[in-house]
Amino acid sequence: MELSKFLNPSIKLNIILIISFSISVNSFVLFPNVNNAFYILFHLTFIYLIFYHYHFYLYILAFIYGILFDILLLNNIGIHLIAFLSLLILYFVIRKFLTRLSSYQIIFIYFVTLIILLLIEQILANFTNGYKFSLLTFFNFFIISLIIFIPTVFLFSKLDK
Amino acid sequence: MAPKFRIKVFQISSFIKNFTIVSIVTLSFLLVFFSKSDLYLINGLKNISSSVIIPITRIISLPINTLSNFVDEYKQFRSLKFENKILQEEIIRLKKWQTLAIQNSRENRVLKKLLNATDNNLTLVKTASLINRNDTIYTKLINLNAGHNDKIKKNMSAINERGLVGKVIDTTSNNSRVILLTDPNLSISVKSISDGIFSLLTGNGDGKYLVSSFVKENKMPRLGDIVVTSGTAQIFPVDLLVGKVAKVEKNRFFVLPFVDFENIDYLQIVTSK
Repeated sequence: MELSKFLNPSIKLNIILIISFSISVNSFVLFPNVNNAFYILFHLTFIYLIFYHYHFYLYILAFIYGILFDILLLNNIGIHLIAFLSLLILYFVIRKFLTRLSSYQIIFIYFVTLIILLLIEQILANFTNGYKFSLLTFFNFFIISLIIFIPTVFLFSKLDK
Repeated sequence: MAPKFRIKVFQISSFIKNFTIVSIVTLSFLLVFFSKSDLYLINGLKNISSSVIIPITRIISLPINTLSNFVDEYKQFRSLKFENKILQEEIIRLKKWQTLAIQNSRENRVLKKLLNATDNNLTLVKTASLINRNDTIYTKLINLNAGHNDKIKKNMSAINERGLVGKVIDTTSNNSRVILLTDPNLSISVKSISDGIFSLLTGNGDGKYLVSSFVKENKMPRLGDIVVTSGTAQIFPVDLLVGKVAKVEKNRFFVLPFVDFENIDYLQIVTSK
């Protein structure tokens, strides 16, 4: 009872963030799509936290995870840090508009935000780090996002009661 | 008094929040701006991520890692009988080659003595094993369990029994990070063995092939030519095996590396003598 009180939705979502981050930065040769799926799950969880649990501490989270993702996946600080912080600032600017939308509209915006975030990261990686923008990789991300989006939203709504 | 106190606390916390957010954003832009420099802060962050964060993430991802190893072992077990048959045939073939090799080696030694040549141009610094890899999304990096305590330094070459694997880009006391040949951000100067054509190779981004980014005098090597490091850039020692020319186009050519990057367990960190 005490534990369930302590584990409020925000903490549960943060645990998911840590797990998905850890799995996405450790490559498994036999299951490369597991890495991709958890990388997308991290983004989904982070966007969900911004949309439904917006708080000042998310800036610190964005800062830490942004730097760690950049160092571990790109060896240069840049794209994830910029993407996460930009998303937070953008949400802060348009949050009044989002509160007027229906739940279905928000779910749609949630998915579009995820895809745009992944796309921006790939484009930034192309410009700043010289990693060629691969349509195949993006298509792979898109398909995985499509597959895991609904179950993830369902899971999050259950966690959030 | 109570409401006044509450208002004051709210104002301070809001100020702190805004100040922190502005500081984070400013610091982020500074970090992005200086990320490619050799600043102490940037190196410190990279060291922390290698020596502290990677072990933590490995523990958290242990169940999936165990599952991956289990599937790998199961696959290996299934192909054991077939592999055994192939290996037996290969042993017979290799025995014939061994006799030839011993003869050649003797001849080689005698000829080297005549030419007064040195045996090897490499110094082995350390043999290290792989602790984790970050080569699925974006970059092609691997982490090794040896660092500057083992005299490993930045820019040293990493090889295995098949040839050149990559270059050390960061070291901490007990860990080092190696960028693989297949990373688009690593350039290696190479030459073809048969024609001595000099060129620069970089990763193609697909994780399989290396592609030429510059070819001296635009002379293309022949299909099937073996490519080795030229040693001209003073980063990689000369004559390390890189790969085989797999495809030649009008202005560029593709090389298939000898190293199987999916099956790296141990690496040797070497430097020129």
